[in-house]
Amino acid sequence: MMKQNLLLYWGKKALVFLVSVMVLSVAVFYISRLAPGDPLMSYYGERTEKMSVEEKEAAREKLGLNDPIHVQYVRWLQNALKGDFGISYKYKQDVTEVIGSRIGNTLILGGIGFVLTFLGALGLGILCAWHEDKWPDQLLCKGGTLLSCIPEFWLSLVMILVFSVTLQWLPSSGAYDVGHKHDILNRAEHLILPLTVVVLEHLWYYAYMIRNKLLEETRADYVLLGKAKGLSKKKILLGHCLRNSLPSYISLMAISVPHVLGGTYIVEKVFSYPGIGTLSFESAQYHDYNLLMVLCMLTGIVVILGNLIGGIINERIDPRIKAAEVTETSEVTWD
Amino acid sequence: MEEILNIKNLSVNIHAPGGTVHAVRDVSFELYPGEVLAIVGESGCGKSMLCKAIMKLLPKSAKVEGGQIFANGVDITHYSQKDMEKLRGKLFSYVFQDPMTALNPTIPIGKQIGEAVLVHEPKLPKAQVYERVIELMELVGIQRPRERYHLYPYNFSGGMRQRSVMAIALASNPRILLADEPTTALDVTIQAQILDLLKKIQVQLGTATILVSHDLGVVASAADRVAIMYAGKIVEIGTAEEVYYDPRHPYTWGLMQSLPALNKGNAELKTIPGMPPTLVEPPVGDAFACRNQYALEIDYHQQPPMFRISDTHYAATWLLDPRAPKITPPIGGKRNA
Repeated sequence: MMKQNLLLYWGKKALVFLVSVMVLSVAVFYISRLAPGDPLMSYYGERTEKMSVEEKEAAREKLGLNDPIHVQYVRWLQNALKGDFGISYKYKQDVTEVIGSRIGNTLILGGIGFVLTFLGALGLGILCAWHEDKWPDQLLCKGGTLLSCIPEFWLSLVMILVFSVTLQWLPSSGAYDVGHKHDILNRAEHLILPLTVVVLEHLWYYAYMIRNKLLEETRADYVLLGKAKGLSKKKILLGHCLRNSLPSYISLMAISVPHVLGGTYIVEKVFSYPGIGTLSFESAQYHDYNLLMVLCMLTGIVVILGNLIGGIINERIDPRIKAAEVTETSEVTWD
Repeated sequence: MEEILNIKNLSVNIHAPGGTVHAVRDVSFELYPGEVLAIVGESGCGKSMLCKAIMKLLPKSAKVEGGQIFANGVDITHYSQKDMEKLRGKLFSYVFQDPMTALNPTIPIGKQIGEAVLVHEPKLPKAQVYERVIELMELVGIQRPRERYHLYPYNFSGGMRQRSVMAIALASNPRILLADEPTTALDVTIQAQILDLLKKIQVQLGTATILVSHDLGVVASAADRVAIMYAGKIVEIGTAEEVYYDPRHPYTWGLMQSLPALNKGNAELKTIPGMPPTLVEPPVGDAFACRNQYALEIDYHQQPPMFRISDTHYAATWLLDPRAPKITPPIGGKRNA
């Protein structure tokens, strides 16, 4: 019985994942192809303008762009299931190779940025809630709002100006110096500025969220009971309120993975950081369909996975979520 | 007997945007070990505020602005929240009105009770905490406690939740239990069970209890002494016998007459006309005057003092002044007229 339930539970999650990915792929495939523009430009570059109508037609035929979209989709899907995602029109290379050489950099920047934002916001949020309406709270809330209004590219430029140009402490671009690909210290040095921008830009928004959620929880009746029990402020705030605020914070963070990742795209561009941010931008601009497709799918899968993982963590914290899902098999309610 | 709790001229004000609400006005009473004192009054007369003020659980907008609170002879009026943490649970505990929201929804019941056990004995080994929790759950009448230890509040009914809240309140053997309308949110059959339980525990553990209710009928069987509150003041206080059989304040008369059980035979249930006054600007004289058919001229100008009827029985009404006209009370007065 238990095992069956467990199987059902994970089966459901897997099904949700597969269906979401399928829907996403269809949507991206159609929208990218319906968008105005000429994909031949990315394949042949400048030469496209000199091509005759017949030559263009032949080129389209060769790239399979003349078939109806659903036929193209089925072909793409068949190849994709075999692990062949096609070639990038612009780089004339396998899409997986183009992305493979850059995705690591983005994952490092985005991943560390995300974790730092998540933890930092949690810490600041708790600090603010602890000192509600006293000066640390006021300062952080007002200062944070101000800072998050500064555009990312501008903050990046100011950072470069101060720390790279004037003080010359840190490098202004790239992921590592030539010949230092595996030198962790060198990579870390290159990461500091972009990472600072990514974290500073997003930190306040999430810190503010967790602060408000925490303060909302402190108004709940069970806090009064906690106080009446003789629990300390620390125990109530961290042991009770934080626990109950976490589900909504985790869901928020789960769906904001692309928000933080999207932030890294801009930062990547300013710092000439070789990640997939620049790649995504170009692939959409030049109708590099195969590349765009895989990049969108990747981002989408990250979001869907983020949501699923967030949901699973939340069920652990708040069992009511799970109970609501399986009411038909739920335990007896006592008297 | 030495009193365990002594409230002297306590006043609580709530600073709301619309003005200052004088929720508790100049309230004094004592609580003796092992007794049940019922505080009865209409909704909004300051009963809850009074209890919360004693344990310093008032909301931010409410402040104690006058009077003193002595617990065990020690003045705790100006204790900080930190000082209060040491007293809460140990000296006094609180049972809340609404058990549906009082428990943390995401923590198993057993663990929430265990937390209360650990507060004053942080070094107790896990196994002993568990046993103590089981013992407490049995004490409050939660059957099959070992099974239910791991359940969450949403698995429990209202009555079971209130029992859990009581287990939490009793975890550190408090000397005083403040039960703030513990049965109001429950349905009638469960109400009786919880009241019986309160009484049983009170007899078994000898915990002094302040039982707050808006229903004289509910507290009749449980209380040793009864205090009647109106518009933030105690208007009559005495032993249960004195208040039920020989009530002296017109407001108490009104409350008694509106009890269905005492009204057998009458076609229509009596009610007290009008509404309690708003406490933003309390009336100058007796706050009950404008609803009182026996009101005297002086009631509108001057607040009545507490007149002594016996060593235990006091009431604040000018009718008890020797100069007042003699009236026949509509009820009571069956003993020592």
